[in-house]
Amino acid sequence: MTDHKTIKELCAQFTRIINEPNLEIQRVHAEKPAPIIGFLPTDVPEELIHASGAYPYGLVSYEGMWVNRADAHLQTWACSLARCSFGMALAGKFDYLSGLIIPHICDTTRMISGIWKQTRPYDFMENFVLPRQVDRPSARSYLIGELGRLKARLESFMGRSIADEELQRSISLYNKNRTMLRKLYQFHVRRPDLISNLDVFNAIKSAMLIPKELHNVMVSELLRVVEQQTHERNTDDAARGVRVLVTGKVWEPPAIMEILDESGGVCVADDLSTGYRYIANDVTENGNPLEALADHQLKRPPSPCFVNRGQDRLEYLVDKVKASGARGVIFLHLKFCETENYDYPLLRDALFDANIPNVRVESEIGNVSHGQISTRIQAFMEMLGGEEIYGS
Amino acid sequence: MAASQPFKTAGLLKGLMAKYYEQGNLARERGVPVAWVTAVSPVELVYAAGLFPYYPENFGALAAARKVADKISMAAETRGFFSDLCGYARCGLGDAYAQEHPVGKIVRPDLLFCCNTQCGSLQKWFETAGRLYKAPYFLLDAPLIENASTELVKRYFVEQLEEAINFFEVATGSPFNFDRLAEVLDLANEACRLWNEILDMAAMKPAPFGFFDACFHMAPIVTWRGTKEAVMYYQELKNELEDRLSKKIYAVPDERFKIYWDHIPVWPKLRWFSDLFAEHGALVAVSQYTHSWAYQFDLDRPLESLAENYSEVFSNRDFEDRIQLKINFMKKYQIDGFALFSNRSCKPTAFGLYDKRKIISDRTGLPGIVFEGDMSDLRYFSDEQVRNRFKIFFEQLT
Repeated sequence: MTDHKTIKELCAQFTRIINEPNLEIQRVHAEKPAPIIGFLPTDVPEELIHASGAYPYGLVSYEGMWVNRADAHLQTWACSLARCSFGMALAGKFDYLSGLIIPHICDTTRMISGIWKQTRPYDFMENFVLPRQVDRPSARSYLIGELGRLKARLESFMGRSIADEELQRSISLYNKNRTMLRKLYQFHVRRPDLISNLDVFNAIKSAMLIPKELHNVMVSELLRVVEQQTHERNTDDAARGVRVLVTGKVWEPPAIMEILDESGGVCVADDLSTGYRYIANDVTENGNPLEALADHQLKRPPSPCFVNRGQDRLEYLVDKVKASGARGVIFLHLKFCETENYDYPLLRDALFDANIPNVRVESEIGNVSHGQISTRIQAFMEMLGGEEIYGS
Repeated sequence: MAASQPFKTAGLLKGLMAKYYEQGNLARERGVPVAWVTAVSPVELVYAAGLFPYYPENFGALAAARKVADKISMAAETRGFFSDLCGYARCGLGDAYAQEHPVGKIVRPDLLFCCNTQCGSLQKWFETAGRLYKAPYFLLDAPLIENASTELVKRYFVEQLEEAINFFEVATGSPFNFDRLAEVLDLANEACRLWNEILDMAAMKPAPFGFFDACFHMAPIVTWRGTKEAVMYYQELKNELEDRLSKKIYAVPDERFKIYWDHIPVWPKLRWFSDLFAEHGALVAVSQYTHSWAYQFDLDRPLESLAENYSEVFSNRDFEDRIQLKINFMKKYQIDGFALFSNRSCKPTAFGLYDKRKIISDRTGLPGIVFEGDMSDLRYFSDEQVRNRFKIFFEQLT
């Protein structure tokens, strides 16, 4: 029935979900009522929420106009991600939520949970109190316990227990989604003319906004059409555009990906929470599901929020650039993102030491000069492209 | 500081801190590894392990109090560290790059030991310094406690303390000595007890000692906690305060009001604030900040006790707990009003203050204000704005 849909039409579905995320989740909710439990991006065990019978819903689609709504409660030098999410909540944009889970990944997430609970609580307000070091044995045993605590809280809220088999089924469903999205990502890397930067990142982000059952259908359709087209056209897989790695927390505002597309840049690897980090690794499907979820969290790609002496982000990024064949790195930073701002100077130096060109692009939700970002990214692409020409 | 007569112990303090810095400079020559530590971390383990604990935060506070923090920070900022990062961290990182060292050179770490109960800034600062100095880094991770602590968090903390002991053993090359730990804990208990008895004197009316004095005298409870030097110092200070009481020497001679302050002082404006309050007959009597060092360890169960003391401090508490702790202090010290410092360098203490001010006033009936600034960087402080905020506040007190 969707045989005739084109890649662009299928990708447009993801755009629609992101542009009006409340419509789809509310439609699903009307068809099959169950509590909708929101989460801040993205170090949250969604599989647990899913297994409890609730709808997990990521607060990842931002309306910049609501940033200032938070000012009476939160200093303006908090990052715009926190201010916007909370501002939207205050504006009633998330009133269809029954709950919210806030992962503790930085001081802002750690402190905003109390303010949120005080000013705009939902029935179920929980923190996911993550270990901030991830490579010592203590982190694993603690995280298994914390997952158990969260599971018990969900069970109590939902009025039912979560059987291991149910959790395993959710894990399988989520693994399938991650596997397909990774496949799509690889298609994008090989054929950015078919799947643009914006397309692939929209596909990933939209996965947080609708039930995975539906998303899996959409991604598998898209994969099928993409596979067909690449097969039919039989064009070579040679890289087009300038390959870059993007590092940061989130790709906001979304126009950044359009700018990258227009500038001829191809994101071939990233560590964004609303990007590859969300799909990078699967959860082991046999064995104790809580232990498997803990291992999944601990083995996510390095992030500035977690101390990982076993795999420092400096070496990780340099290695990733080499493995992905990226010609340069774009730091995509939100103003006032403390964890990124601490990492940046030494990461930048480590990249330069490894002869990897890089540029930092700073944005702020609700207060962005697209022109400036565009100029910066375009100049960087021209520089990288130029090197390619001169180097050949 | 507000008292008209200087403290006799001020000289002792100067000597003690000079000795501390000298030990830091000599440590490496003597074969003692230097461990960077955070202010609210179990330094008792570090002392017991035979390492020298060095406090980069103390370096930041010193630079701030001498009004050179922004200058040292610039050296970090020109390297790409942003001005919105913690002022202490910018100072600490900046000094590593700086050509000039107006408050002495920060001591290079052989290893870094950070507890993130105070904030995630320290976690990142120490991680960055670990990369910069290529030194091993250990994070003692403190999950936020909501309502009451749990067995899960305690167990996690104890397990990490055991991991920390291994980390120290690698650095020293010798096994950890638990007998020595018991001695250190005993000395820490004694110093904390004296320190808190001194802080409590601010509840007297009029009081011989207030928050700004505590800021001046707090360095040993941070740096020398767990040694006999700290015990000796606070015994001397307590004696002097008792002597002052008998001579009727008070912090604010015509004390009319007692104020609660939250949290850290504005270091380069310590005197400025002290005078501002004194002009209005107000004594800033108490802050959660100086009460951070109020530990009591059980020597029979050292690791569990360290875990409880350090994971349950106020800075590791959630929104409601922090409000309740503030209100408890306000009751205990019979406070007339409160000032909450929205410190740009300190998100964990600043975020939530706007709502807390209203909630505390609603529950206690006390007037309170929030003011904006930075604990060390004067570029984020406006004398006029702050003075105007306080003008309204003082009017509400009468």
